[in-house]
Amino acid sequence: MSSEPIERRVSYLGDRLRGRRCQICGKEYFEIRDYCGNCGRKSFGKMADIDLFYEKGRLEICTLVKEPTNKFTKLGNYIYGIVSFHNGKIRVPGRLTDKIIKDGETVDFSTLEGREVVPRFRRRYSVGKSDIIPTISLAFTLADEYYPHQEYVVVKPNKEYEAPGIVGYGAYTSKFRIKEGGMERAIPFIDEDAITAAVEAGKLALIHSGVDNSLIGKVYVGSESNPYAVKPIASKVAQVLKLGEEDEDVQGVDAVDTEFACKAATSMFKDAASLVNYPKLGIPYVMVIGADNSQAAPRDCPGGELDLFVGFGGCAYIFGKTDVIAEIEGWYSCTSDTPDFWRRDGEPYPMHGGRFTGDPAYFKHIRKAAKKLMERLGLQPSDINYFVAHQPNVQFPVRIAKELGFKEEQYLPSLQVAKFGNAYSGSSPIGLAAVLDIAKPNERILIVSYGSGAGSDAYTFITTNQITEKRQRQKLTVRYQAENPYLEYVDYTTYRRLKLGM
Amino acid sequence: MPNRPVIVGAGRTKFGEHYEKQPERLIEEAWLRASEEAGLERKDLEACYISDYFLLITNKLGLEEGFLSELTELHVPMDFARSFSSAFSNACNAIQAGKYDLVLIGGIEKMTDRWDKIRDDLMLLGDPWSYYAGGTPEANHELMLRAYIKKYGIEGENLEKLNLALAQISVKNHLNALKNECAQFQRKITVEQVLEARRIARRPLGVYDFAPISDGATAVILASEETARKITDEPVYVLGSSSATDYLTFPAREDVTGFLATRLAIGKALKTAGINLWDIQILELYDQSTVMEMVSLEDLGFCEKGKAWKAIFESCQDYKGYYSINGRKLFVNMNGGLKADGNPLGATGGAQIHEVFKQLRGEAGERQVTSDKELKYGCVLELEGFGTKGHVHIFGRD
Repeated sequence: MSSEPIERRVSYLGDRLRGRRCQICGKEYFEIRDYCGNCGRKSFGKMADIDLFYEKGRLEICTLVKEPTNKFTKLGNYIYGIVSFHNGKIRVPGRLTDKIIKDGETVDFSTLEGREVVPRFRRRYSVGKSDIIPTISLAFTLADEYYPHQEYVVVKPNKEYEAPGIVGYGAYTSKFRIKEGGMERAIPFIDEDAITAAVEAGKLALIHSGVDNSLIGKVYVGSESNPYAVKPIASKVAQVLKLGEEDEDVQGVDAVDTEFACKAATSMFKDAASLVNYPKLGIPYVMVIGADNSQAAPRDCPGGELDLFVGFGGCAYIFGKTDVIAEIEGWYSCTSDTPDFWRRDGEPYPMHGGRFTGDPAYFKHIRKAAKKLMERLGLQPSDINYFVAHQPNVQFPVRIAKELGFKEEQYLPSLQVAKFGNAYSGSSPIGLAAVLDIAKPNERILIVSYGSGAGSDAYTFITTNQITEKRQRQKLTVRYQAENPYLEYVDYTTYRRLKLGM
Repeated sequence: MPNRPVIVGAGRTKFGEHYEKQPERLIEEAWLRASEEAGLERKDLEACYISDYFLLITNKLGLEEGFLSELTELHVPMDFARSFSSAFSNACNAIQAGKYDLVLIGGIEKMTDRWDKIRDDLMLLGDPWSYYAGGTPEANHELMLRAYIKKYGIEGENLEKLNLALAQISVKNHLNALKNECAQFQRKITVEQVLEARRIARRPLGVYDFAPISDGATAVILASEETARKITDEPVYVLGSSSATDYLTFPAREDVTGFLATRLAIGKALKTAGINLWDIQILELYDQSTVMEMVSLEDLGFCEKGKAWKAIFESCQDYKGYYSINGRKLFVNMNGGLKADGNPLGATGGAQIHEVFKQLRGEAGERQVTSDKELKYGCVLELEGFGTKGHVHIFGRD
């Protein structure tokens, strides 16, 4: 049983590596210190905060851990060492994550030592089912492989827009894949889950938008794989990314989780846009995240058919009215009570309603939402440059796109399911991100999500000139993550082990 | 050091696994041996100083004082410390201050009762941030070795020699333990076995590089000079005793190729003792790993930084029972060290002091060392955590 006060302290200092620097002598400390050991009392009040969350470090020395302490056994073998920041002024212990070391594999430590690493927000170790899930950023990824280091630079906005829209976004998935039946599907590393994916996506969105994190007034996280039945993902996102104004250890932000199967995130786009558009509210930006470690029962169990399609990933959007890259033109949502897919409380895996899937569910709602919105805005398929649909598999989005009259060049750019699998709440948002990655200014995008249970949200966005300006800020584009040479492919057993997590 | 405390007796149990004995029984056994030797009775004791690192966690045994009082029918002041050296220092202070004339220092640990969780406990108590990051007790030693190799640019043939030197440390300690009936491992090992264990582990250090977990107890009886005269004709004096501390988080320390706490403690201890480093002939080091024995020779000042492996390698080419450093003899870990004698944390320091005491009195039996120069001074280094605390004691005889 983990001790909650200790857990809170470790999370506060460790989820986003914090330290202090003495402004008199320059000595730096990991952890918060009110005075400097060298300078003593005169340094009181002269200690500046150090935030290592967006920094890169160096793996100084390392070794292989094959017989970890009890709570780390599920990780298997891993590299552990000392990571330094600021030319060795701060040194911390660190585990190299995103690396599978097979039994019997010999590691040449000198090939790892001296390389740059990026702190990652991950699960710390395994705990009992009823315990708080411990997290930490003392897990590091090599910066010269899948996950490059990116600085977070706050950019002063220079243009106000009439209508609200997307100010920045970030799509994240891990470097692990399983390749089966013509599909590649993303798998979390063993220390990842919907929470870490949501934080990661939010981090990438902040980097891309250049928005000051303290100006985010609300954060929504849509997910159907929150490891907690009660305890929001959004609170972790708010705390780790320091959303809203920070006052002591409390963030001045509203944070809430939403759930509606795969449309939990897209549903909130309109709420986010409305909030930033509401006069006198003083909320300049709102973040919406869809993140899932998509759940599926093992293949031979009831509900196991989903196991062929599920993926992993998160996607975050920041809505606002300044430096917008895609303005919202219109939206339409529809809902009906359709039992096509559900998961009962306390059950680990969702069930799938067989004949209710497809025509009475996916196709009916997407068709309705898309047609209604186009009708309202007086649009023809030819007026739309890109069509994005929810992607539970490859066939469904292609069939509905064709039915609605879209051509390959309109729907193929958003079709990412064959690269990432179905990322549930992150599915259509990742499709939209793939389009925003390549869209030119003044192009129209139609996105239609689908959430089982059932409903669809349709939105049209019109891109602005600023879309191309901001593009250079993001190295981790959807394409970068889909075609990365460092992707690691694993077998079915490893896939289930990683997906089940710690 | 005025009013020098005198060791008048020392006793210990065998180290190893004692699943059949309760912790109090172990300390009783150690006390009986020490008191029998000194010809003392319980009622002679004025106070007790007890040490254990984490009996509270491993055996859920709090208020050890009460257990001991119940067992011994003693109602004298008893105090508790985390390491034998801490308890020993406190006892020395009390005797020097003239508060007591005869005290017992007892150390006890029973780690095997919790073997399945012991490494988590050790890490969580010794270096929590490293634990949270995935560190293990072994990893710290390996990182220190990697840092050492890097800092001193040791490569090629020299690196091979360094690795051999570390293996020889373990072989040497096992050899010494053959003559120690209380040692946990009384068996010879070979350099090839040590190297093979590293190959199997595919890590810089293997199972033969590390001290085991152990159960055991030790006891030392300390007296004021005046009282000691009535008890023994062969007093072993505590000439200097000092300690120093360092960061809990090992990776955050300025230098990770040695222990600052040791360097500070030896300086102060030598000063109090009023002797030179090289007056010391018998040395008990805290070899939780072979790397620790190597760097401790440097930290104490017997070898230059980055050079200890050379002296060890050369001494062990044709090992004569001692390290030969710049033509001088240094008898190191004659009881087998933590590696072969065992390492019941709270009792370990007592075994180290026990060894130096026996050697200086010429009572070490088969292990007794002889030197061309009369054996006069011995030194004990005990560390807590991964060098978070370093204790150095210097002992001497008339």
